[in-house]
Amino acid sequence: MYIYRTGIRLIDEKKGGLSPGSNILILAPSMSSGERLGYSVARPAPGEYALILSTVMRAVDLLDFFSESRIDPSRIGIIDAVSKLSTPDISDSTQVRYVSSPSDLTGIGIKFSSMVESIFNGEFADSGDALFPPPVRFYIDSLTTLLMYRRLEVIYQFLHVVTAKLKKMDAIGIYALNNESFDEKTLSLIKQLMNVVIEIKNEQHGDFLRVRGLPGVTQEWVHFQITGEGLEVVI
Amino acid sequence: MIRTGILGIDEMLGSGIPKGSRVIFSLEPGVDGRPFIFRILRTVLSGGKNVLVIAPQATEKAFLSDFSRMMDASPGMGPGKMVILDSSVRERINTRLKGSRSRWKEWQKIIRETIGESGIEVLFVYFDLLYEDFGLEPALQLLPSGEEYRSLTTIVEHLNLEGDSLISGFASGGYFDLIISVHSNISSVPFFNFFTLEYVSWSRMPRRSVPYTVTDGTIRLYIPKIIVTGPPSSGKSTFVANASDSGLSVDRGDIDGFKTTVAMDLGWLHLRGFDITLFGTPGQPRFDPIIPQIIRNAMGIIMVIDATRPETLPRARELLTLAYSARIPVVVAVNKADLPHTMDERQVRQSLKLREAIPVLFISSLRRSDVHSVLESMIDHITRYSP
Repeated sequence: MYIYRTGIRLIDEKKGGLSPGSNILILAPSMSSGERLGYSVARPAPGEYALILSTVMRAVDLLDFFSESRIDPSRIGIIDAVSKLSTPDISDSTQVRYVSSPSDLTGIGIKFSSMVESIFNGEFADSGDALFPPPVRFYIDSLTTLLMYRRLEVIYQFLHVVTAKLKKMDAIGIYALNNESFDEKTLSLIKQLMNVVIEIKNEQHGDFLRVRGLPGVTQEWVHFQITGEGLEVVI
Repeated sequence: MIRTGILGIDEMLGSGIPKGSRVIFSLEPGVDGRPFIFRILRTVLSGGKNVLVIAPQATEKAFLSDFSRMMDASPGMGPGKMVILDSSVRERINTRLKGSRSRWKEWQKIIRETIGESGIEVLFVYFDLLYEDFGLEPALQLLPSGEEYRSLTTIVEHLNLEGDSLISGFASGGYFDLIISVHSNISSVPFFNFFTLEYVSWSRMPRRSVPYTVTDGTIRLYIPKIIVTGPPSSGKSTFVANASDSGLSVDRGDIDGFKTTVAMDLGWLHLRGFDITLFGTPGQPRFDPIIPQIIRNAMGIIMVIDATRPETLPRARELLTLAYSARIPVVVAVNKADLPHTMDERQVRQSLKLREAIPVLFISSLRRSDVHSVLESMIDHITRYSP
C-alpha cells in the first residue's frame, strides 16, 4: 500500500505517514501558521501530484508563494475560486482552473474532476518517477470560506462526496479551518468526515500543534515552525 | 417542441422537449453540466426564442464568458434575446431584505416581471442557491407553473448532493416532466460519463442510461458495443463492413478455401446522433468459448442468418442461447433476402424461439440502407424500449 509522508516527524516516524483515503483537518486560529502547515503537508513528494482549492489566494499569488518557498509547481494544480470575481474572462490552463466564486460547488466539482483527469492523462509534468494510479494530495484552503458562502449541511454533503472520491482515487485530503470562527456543533460535524485532526495554537513562544486520531502518536502539544524555504515542518 | 440540440437526446425524446415542460438535469458532483445546458441555451437562442437565465452563483460576465468559450459563440449570435439574473441580484435581495419570506417574494416578483416584460419562452435556472436559501418546496414554487405560463419551458440544473432519494422525490412529486441525471465515474480508470433518463412524462419510456463524451463542447452519445453474430458464412463481416464508416476484419482462409473470421470484425460509425462500435464475432463453433467474453458489456446483439440456408438455424439458436444470458436487446437480420429463398418470418421465429418484441428484418447486407435499417432498429431497442 502506498503511504503519504506528511513531513511532520511525529506522524512519519511513528506511522510511516498516512494511508490512502485519509482526511486531515487542520484546525487553526487566525494569524497562526495553519494554512502554511496545510501547504507543507500538501507538497507533492516525488511521483505525486497536489491539487489545491484556493478560496483565499488568487492562483497568481499562490504561484508566487510557491516560488518564494522554493516549491516546484509543476506537479501542482490549482482551482482558483477567487480571481473570476474580479476577472470574469480569465481562461483556464492545464494547471490552473477557475470557478466563479467559492459558492459555486458545481464548478468546484467540475474543475476537480477535470484536473484529476488531466493528471491521469499525463498532462502535468512527468518527473520520470510517475506512479499509477498517481498519488494525489487535495488541499482545501479553506473550509472557513466555503462555510461563509454555503450552509453547513450543504458543505457537509459536499465534503462527504469529496472524501468518497478521494478514497476511490487512493488520494488524501487536507482541509484548513479556522476554529475561532465556528461553534462546536460545526466543528464536530466536520470532524466526523476526518481521520486525523491537527490542532494548532499560537502562543507567545510560537506555534504549537497537537495530533488527534492516530493511535501511537503523542497527543501532547508540540512546538513547531515552518521554514520559509521548502515549507519544512521543524519540531 | 423545443429541440435540445443534442442529437441523440432529441432522438430518444421523440424530437425534443414539448413546449411548456419542466426539465431538470440532476448532476452528480464532479459532472460538468454545462455542455448540456449551454447546448440547449444556444439551440433555443438560435431558434429565435427569448430566454431568462437565473444564475445566482455567478456574475453575468463570468457566465457569458463561460458560455462564449465553451460554445464558441456569443450569446447575441442568434435572433433570440437572453436576460440574466445573476449573483448581484441575489446579493441585492439578501442585503436589502431580511427574512426568507420577503426575499422569496422579491425573487418571485422579479422572475415574473422579467418573463412578462421580455417575452421569455424558455427559463434556465441554476437551482442550488435558491434551494439552499428557501428549501426545496419554496424554491420549486419560485419556478412559474404551467398554469401561469402555458408555453414557458423551464430547464433546471441542480447539483445533487443527496443522491437517488432526491431524484425519486422529483419523479414521484410530479415536479418535472423530464428528469435526466448525469453521472461520472472516478476510479483508477476514471472519467466515464453517462446520463440516465429517469422520467419522461409525455412518453412511456423505461429508465435508460447512455454513455457520452464531450468534444469541443459538443455532447456525443455513444454505444460502446453492439455485437454482430450468427452462423458461419451468414454475412456478418459484410454486414459490419457495409454498416461502418471505418473498420477492420481478421479473416483467414479455411480448408474449403472460404474466408472465415478468426478473431473479430470491428467497425465504427456515427448514426442518428450516436457513435457506435460494432464487434463481429466468429461464427465457427470452435470459437464459442470466447463468445460470452465478447458479449460482455455489450448493449445489443444483431443476429445475422442466411435466408437461403435454413439448415443453419439450429446454429443460430445455439448462438442466441449464448447471447440471451446477457439479457440485452436482440435484432435478427435475415440476410441474402435478395436471393431466392423459402425462409419466412414465422419459420425464423419458431426456430429461434423469438419473443414478439424481437424484430426480424429481411435484408441484403450488401445494401448499406438495409444494414442501417437494422442498426436503427437496434438503436430504438437500446434507447427506447426494454429488452
